[in-house]
Amino acid sequence: MLKLMKLEMRKFRLSSYIYAALLATAVIFILMCTFSLNAEMREIFPIMNYENWFTILDVLVRGTYIVFAAVLLARIVIEEYRSKSINVLFMYPINRKKLIAAKLLVIIVFVFSAYILTNLVVGISIYIVNQFISIIPEPLTLSIVFKTLTTIVMSALATSFLSLIPLYVGMRKHSVSATIVSSFLVAAVVCQTVEGFNLFSIVAVPVSMALLGAAVAYLSIRNVERDDVL
Amino acid sequence: MTYTVRTKQLTRAYNGKEAVSNVNLNIRQGEIYGLLGPNGAGKTTVMKMLTNLVKPTAGEIEIFGKKLTPHSYHLLGRMGTIIENPIFYERLTARENLDLHCEYMGYYNKQSITEALELVSLKEVEGKPVKDFSLGMKQRLNIARAILTKPELLILDEPINGLDPVGIKEFRDLFKMLCKQYGITILISSHILAEIELIADTIAVMNEGKLLQEVSMDHIAQQTAEYIELTTPSTHKAAYVLENYLNLTNIRITGDAELRIYDCPISQSELMKGLVLHEVELEAVHQKKGSLEDYFLSILKGGGTVA
Repeated sequence: MLKLMKLEMRKFRLSSYIYAALLATAVIFILMCTFSLNAEMREIFPIMNYENWFTILDVLVRGTYIVFAAVLLARIVIEEYRSKSINVLFMYPINRKKLIAAKLLVIIVFVFSAYILTNLVVGISIYIVNQFISIIPEPLTLSIVFKTLTTIVMSALATSFLSLIPLYVGMRKHSVSATIVSSFLVAAVVCQTVEGFNLFSIVAVPVSMALLGAAVAYLSIRNVERDDVL
Repeated sequence: MTYTVRTKQLTRAYNGKEAVSNVNLNIRQGEIYGLLGPNGAGKTTVMKMLTNLVKPTAGEIEIFGKKLTPHSYHLLGRMGTIIENPIFYERLTARENLDLHCEYMGYYNKQSITEALELVSLKEVEGKPVKDFSLGMKQRLNIARAILTKPELLILDEPINGLDPVGIKEFRDLFKMLCKQYGITILISSHILAEIELIADTIAVMNEGKLLQEVSMDHIAQQTAEYIELTTPSTHKAAYVLENYLNLTNIRITGDAELRIYDCPISQSELMKGLVLHEVELEAVHQKKGSLEDYFLSILKGGGTVA
């Protein structure tokens, strides 16, 4: 399986997406700085403590990587069907279920690790900045660090699975645009924040959406041996 | 007799309409088997069923003596295929594409990549991304990919599409060589008769999803031998004269006023002289070489009989 995943990464030049993720991280960092330093912005997003601050960061990262995952889905799965290169792939002496599972795993692993890394990098950077320019008045205690880390990991796990939901829409007509558009809808559901309240903060929502994502992945694999490739 | 591929009553229906119906193919080991038919005859569907891309609605497929099921992945590893248009990962180079193919096929003799590229004369451009290739170059690369892993069975769906005349000749020789030297069984489809005629050992003719005839080239050669056609109002008299006075034995009356002489040992002028001397009225004399085309058209028009 690891070998199949490596082949997928080679085939689609995944290194370019790592650069894209780094760029996204930089943009998120700049955005967070703007939120934190600009007086007008501070009125809209009152940042009192690290918890607030990390919540806003988490929402940004989540939205970014849901769309990012859709781009990967479009590239690695949908495009393969569209360009019919799936014909070539399915003529190899390798279980088709494994082939598709490898593709989805690449995306899940990528989103999961990029999600955590972006949160960490931006978090640490802002901590350093905070030493020079006071952004967050509260001191960073160990208990805040642990709580935040747990939240990040859980949220990364949920996001990496729920970001597979657009695959269901995209696979209907093998449409790249449908995949990306539906990812915006998914992002809108899990990222909207009304007066500090976020749907994602109700545990049942991320859990059930992650399960839905897993179900979509299962559905796309289940019949792959039986289905015709036209 | 060992068969590499056999199909029994192979049928595939799309929305109730049969694209392929009750096709029985018998492809012997080590032969070049030509699948001939007009566009939309069902050739590609048959080939897709052989490679498991499309599942039959009825019937059975046997490859290398084993029944093909949706789980027969190991059988796919022994085949090389070209189905429809050449498809590659366009951003990758020719060599990278072939390298990936080796990895997926579980074939680790990387030297064969260079050999295959040389065989199809693409060695010079191996570092170019495939998106910069012309259709002909892609088709060459496609062939390279199919033969790369030295498969036991090659399934080639219209492999000469997009090739120039020199390329066509080159690949015809290449396929013959692969068949003779490596004993590779080749199933090749085309709608171009002349191509199939030149390389196939056995030909199957398909039309509208049905297999009209499966016949060896040797048999066709007899059927389409050279002959002289006479048009005369008195065919029986002519036949009598030909047999008894000119000692010709291979004569066939093909119509009310037509008669054919096969393997004619005497010249046309001698023949005419002989006939006129015995007062046989002649309206026309034609020397004809029956081509595969005539044969093919006659099968298609007549609806054909299954051999």
